[in-house]
This record gives sequence, C-alpha cells and structure tokens, in this order.
Amino acid sequence: MLGFFKYGNFLLENFQWVLARGGITYKPPHLDVFLPIGISFYTFHSLSYTLDIYRGVMGPTRSLRDFALAVSFFPQLVAGPIVRAGDFLPQLEAPPKPQNDRFLWGLVLMTLGLFEKVVLADTMLAGSADSVFGYAGPLIALDSWLGVIAFAGQIFFDFAGYSTCAIGAALCLGFHLKDNFRFPYAAIGFSDFWRRRHISLSTFLRDYLYIPLGGNRSGAARAMINLIIVMFIGGLWHGAAWTFVVWGLLHGSYLVIERLLKAFVRPTTWTESLGVKLLIGLATYAAVCLAWVFFRASDFTVATRLLRGMFGGHAQADAILSTREILQIGIVTLGMFIVQWSLRETSLEAAVARLPRSVVTAAWAFMAGALILTQGNSNAFIYFQF
Amino acid sequence: MHSSTFNFERPIPAQPWRGVAVLVIVIILFAAAAWEVRCRAVGYGPTLNDTEDLWAQARRRVEPGSVVIVGDSRAWFDSDLDELERGLGSRPVQLAQPGSCAYPVLEDLANDENFHGTIICSIVPRMFFAPGGPLVENARKAVKRYHTQTLAQRASHRLAVPLEEHVAFLKERDLTTEALLKELPIPNRPGALVPPRPPPYFQSVDRERRARMTESCANPGRLQTRVKTGWSRLFTPPPPPRYIPKEAFEQRIAQAIEARFRDTTAAVEKLRRRGGKVVFVRFPVSGELKAFEDQSTPRTGIWDRLIRDSAAPGIYFEDFPELASFTCPEWSHLSAGDSVEFTRRLVPHLRTALGM
Repeated sequence: MLGFFKYGNFLLENFQWVLARGGITYKPPHLDVFLPIGISFYTFHSLSYTLDIYRGVMGPTRSLRDFALAVSFFPQLVAGPIVRAGDFLPQLEAPPKPQNDRFLWGLVLMTLGLFEKVVLADTMLAGSADSVFGYAGPLIALDSWLGVIAFAGQIFFDFAGYSTCAIGAALCLGFHLKDNFRFPYAAIGFSDFWRRRHISLSTFLRDYLYIPLGGNRSGAARAMINLIIVMFIGGLWHGAAWTFVVWGLLHGSYLVIERLLKAFVRPTTWTESLGVKLLIGLATYAAVCLAWVFFRASDFTVATRLLRGMFGGHAQADAILSTREILQIGIVTLGMFIVQWSLRETSLEAAVARLPRSVVTAAWAFMAGALILTQGNSNAFIYFQF
Repeated sequence: MHSSTFNFERPIPAQPWRGVAVLVIVIILFAAAAWEVRCRAVGYGPTLNDTEDLWAQARRRVEPGSVVIVGDSRAWFDSDLDELERGLGSRPVQLAQPGSCAYPVLEDLANDENFHGTIICSIVPRMFFAPGGPLVENARKAVKRYHTQTLAQRASHRLAVPLEEHVAFLKERDLTTEALLKELPIPNRPGALVPPRPPPYFQSVDRERRARMTESCANPGRLQTRVKTGWSRLFTPPPPPRYIPKEAFEQRIAQAIEARFRDTTAAVEKLRRRGGKVVFVRFPVSGELKAFEDQSTPRTGIWDRLIRDSAAPGIYFEDFPELASFTCPEWSHLSAGDSVEFTRRLVPHLRTALGM
C-alpha cells in the first residue's frame, strides 16, 4: 500500500528512464493519487504491531477500538513520532485519570513545540533557507553555508517542534509518548546523532531491519553493509526521490567511517576531553549539514551548485542574504548549540525541575507571547510530506 | 488484555504548575493589552489582513454574470464598489490584489466555463507584464488557495475575521515578529541582492476587500513620505542575474512579454466567445512615479498594443480630463474620498466601453 501511494510515480519514472536507456520510448501515465494523511506513520504503526506479535514480544489485542486508536492516535498520526503498539496499547487498559500537573506540563510542551516550529523554524530560519535553496544562480561560500545551516536548524525545530506538540497533546489526554529527539546537534559522532534524532524511526529501523538483517552478528563487513542498507531505506522512506537516497547513503557512509575509525582509535584520556568532544561534535554537525543539502535540494543540479558554492567553487557568485538574516541564523544556531550541549547528558524534564519557578513562568510566558506576535499563516510541517 | 512488558511513563517536572499557569495567563493578557495600546498609539487600527483566504472568499462570490475587478493595488484602492453597483447595476466582486500581476486571475476566470460576466482589468505595465517572480506568484497563490482551500483554512479564516476587525495588532505585514525584525535598521553588505521591502500598511480593508487609504497616508506626513519614497525601489527592476549572459536574459524577458500579450489576447477571446466582456483600465498615477512609468513603459509600447491585440476596450485615465484631474497623495493610489469621486466619473466610460 505504501509502495503504491508513495512510490508509484517514482518507480514508473525510473522504469521509464531505464527503458529510455535501452532505446525504448515509454510514457507511463502519471498517477495523480492523493497521498493519504499519515500513510507512512500508520503503515509503520501497523507493521510494528504485527511484527511484535509475530516475534512474541507482545500478544494481540482483543479490542478493535484499541488497535485502531494505537494505529491512528491523532497527535502523532501525520508526522510522528512512530509509536510502538507495545508502548501504547498497555496505556489503554485503564482510562487515564485527569491530573492537573500532567495536563499543564502537556500544555507547556505544546507551547514549546509551537514556539520551535512557528517562531524559530518558520520565522527565524525558513526564509533564508528557502532563498538559498531556491536561488537559480551561484552563491558565495558564506551565503551557501548559511542557507544550509539555516535549513539544518529549520528542520530540527520543525520536526522536533511537531514531536514535542504531539507528546504534549498526548499528555494532555493522559497518554505517554517517548522522546523523538534528544539534542541531536550535541551528538559526538554519527551513531550518537542517530540515537538523538528521530529516535522513533532509527530504533524502528534498528529493531525491524538492521537486527533481522544480521546486525553486528555476522562480522564487521556484513554489519557495515547492513548499515548502508538500513540508511538507504531510511532515506527512501523520507521521500520518493534519489536526493533522499543520497542523503540516506551519506549517513550510511558516515556510520561506516565512524565504525572504521573506532576500530583504529581506542578511547584514551585525550579523546575524552571536552575540547576533543566539541571538535568531534562540530565535525559531526558539519557532515550532517553536507548531507542536508541533498535532503533539501529539489534536484541534483541545485545540490551540486550549492555544494560547489559552499567550497568557494564559483568564480562569479552572488550574496543574497540580508545582514538581518545572517544575524538571525547566527543567533538561533548559537543558542541552539548552547542549549543542546548543556542538556545533552540530561533531559528537558530534569532541567525544568531544577529551574526556579520565576524562570519557568517567564520562559512559558515568553514563548506564548512570541506565538501571539508571530501571527499569520505558517508553513506546513516539513514531515507532513513523509 | 494486552500482554506487554512495556510500562512507560513520562516524568512530570516538579513545579507548582497551577500557580505558574495562572501567572502566565495574567502576563500574556497584560502584555497583549499593552501591545494593542501601543499599536493604536502609533496609528494602527483594527482592519482585515488581505490574505489569500479573504481573496478566496471573494472569489467564491463570483457568479456567472458578475462584474469582477482584477488587477493590482490601483484597482484595489481606486474602485468604489457602491458607485460601481449604482452605475453598472450589479455589485462588483473585488479580486484586484496589491503587489500582483492580474494575468493569473484573468486566466482563471477565462478558464472558468461557468463565468460569462464582465472583467474590469487594471493595467500597470510593469506588473501586468512581469515575467514571473513575486508579482505573478502572489496572484497564483491566491488562485490556488481558491481552488484548494481546505475546511480547516476556511474555519481558520472565519475565526480570524472578527478578531482582525477588533484587534489592531493583528497586522500580518507590519506587526508580526518577522516584520518587526525586518524593520531593524541593519545595513546590508554592499552588493547583496536583497529585495526591497513592501510599503507599510496604509489602508483599511473590509470583508468585500474594499481598500481605503488611511487619512495618515492621504495627508502629508511621515507615512506618506515613506510610502512615496518606497515606490522607486519597488518599481525599479532588479539587476539582471550574473549567471546568465545579459543578451540571453533580455531575450528571455522579451519572449515572456510576448507570451503575455498572446496569452492575454487568448484569454480575452475565450471569455468573449462565452459572452463575457473585458475592459482594461489604466488608473491614475502621479508625481515622480508617473514620470518613471511613462519613461520606462511608454504607452505606445504596452497599452496601445494590448488594446489593439486583444480588441478589448480600454480606458486610459489621461485621455479624459475628468479622470486625469486627480492627484495620488503617495503617487500611486487615490485617497479614500477621491476613489469614490473617481469611480463615479469612471462609470460612464465603463458603460460606453461595455456597450451598456
């Protein structure tokens, strides 16, 4: 079903391309089908339910209502996080009892998620990213990098914002969803990055694809091939385009390189120092940004032109970002780094519990006020399309 | 019975949440009230945002035989719906959009098989013949919203309208976080290709999308000067991109203009075959902006050819002393009072042009 709705046109186009290489002209009909809302997510929810029962991890539910709710629970239906039936169904055994603190903390999370999406992603970063990725000509290195950095921030705040809203909305209703993000731009290395970003997808792929493929059990070479396969599919899951495949393969390659490096460089005192960790963290972020180019670019022409710009490869190039936009990208990205690095070993809940009441009040009021001020139409969540 | 070993529960941070929530509500109410007072103090009043949803709502009012106004901000500011209704016998639908090219709307109406009414189309050559970019995109987005508007978007619009009619700070273009940030006086790098800012709000808009210039802009002062001086930057075309040879770029633009002539003629013909009528109108323009338009887009090159090619009637304000005697306070649009009188004087010419 997912293959038909999401990949039908992509497969037809590629089939057409292969035939054309063999000298056969074939024009397939364009399947003008609507992508059902949340198709990727309820497919994954159903898959996890079926596979967990098959593997004996959990037993089947006797209630169609509970099953339907687990598959289509509205807060996370359209953009995740992917919720395992085993995490959700037990919560339906007894109706959740109202709790003031849980409800209000849910509202705080929804405010935070909306703030991330509407203020940080859409207002502070999206315009610059759109300008850079949409520019038809060559750009200077500074603007190319800033556009990519803006997108790196935008997609984090957009998706983490949605996930936080979903978790908050679920909490208001009395349900508990797991974290989908844990400060990914404070990751030290790529395996750490994937333990912190889109956690529900990476653990899904690990449990239902990487481990069944053999995981680490069949030797180092096979483990690396498995990683590439998993990230290839992870890329394709994001969208029916080769640019997403390249994004996934780049991440697969990063993970393989990291494994090779870890095999040769054993942890010592100096590799554990904060300075080295920060450097590795920055290198991880830069490599992740390079991969984002393929994720965001509409095609390979745009991606290669931008990559060339990032490395100063254009003789005559334009600057298109205003100083204000440059400052916005710089301030938001720096702030994001400071928050994520200072919280990387803890959780949001633990940090909030330690804060004085006045700071919590001021932060919540600030976010709500900024939301009111940031009126008008916002962009749709990026992950709605997946 | 679910047989699962998972038992996950999110931690709730220990804080006096009820007290915090009450305080947050009080702060937000106080801050919003203070911001409203401040916005009103600097001249903003409650009025609707001219959104794609408001446009789509107006588009839905178009009936098969309607009189429809399409075009740019001049048709938007300068057309009085009451006078047009009185003079033409039916209340027109206002579909002109500020900062837009009229062609996508004209094309949409021409492709609407149910429509066989009358179109009053404003022509500002640099806008109507824009080869692409934001002017065309603004119109296309509105047309797309009309065709694809979801129930949620309609509901959101219904909620927004009464709020915008009572709250002054709900101004999408001037008073959002993004707009306020754009107002910061931060100089740009030399040579950076940064597009100019559109003018600030200087109008009120009602549910029929009738725009009226505010008194603070109609009278000499800071706002009027700011709007006036902004036109030259907005109407000056951006420099040709460096990544395309100049000749190739100029050729591309010339081809796009030729295509617009052809497409417009075809759209007018399509409407005419169904019994529809189109009349092109050149609304008043004054001062340095008029001199700039006369010099950069001379009448003979654009207007005369459009009327000739399309075989549609045209009303050029300068041809009639009673229409040419108006002065636009900020060079591009008429004041609210003048727009009524101008429309009253325009009606007989429209009736003649439409054979009424």
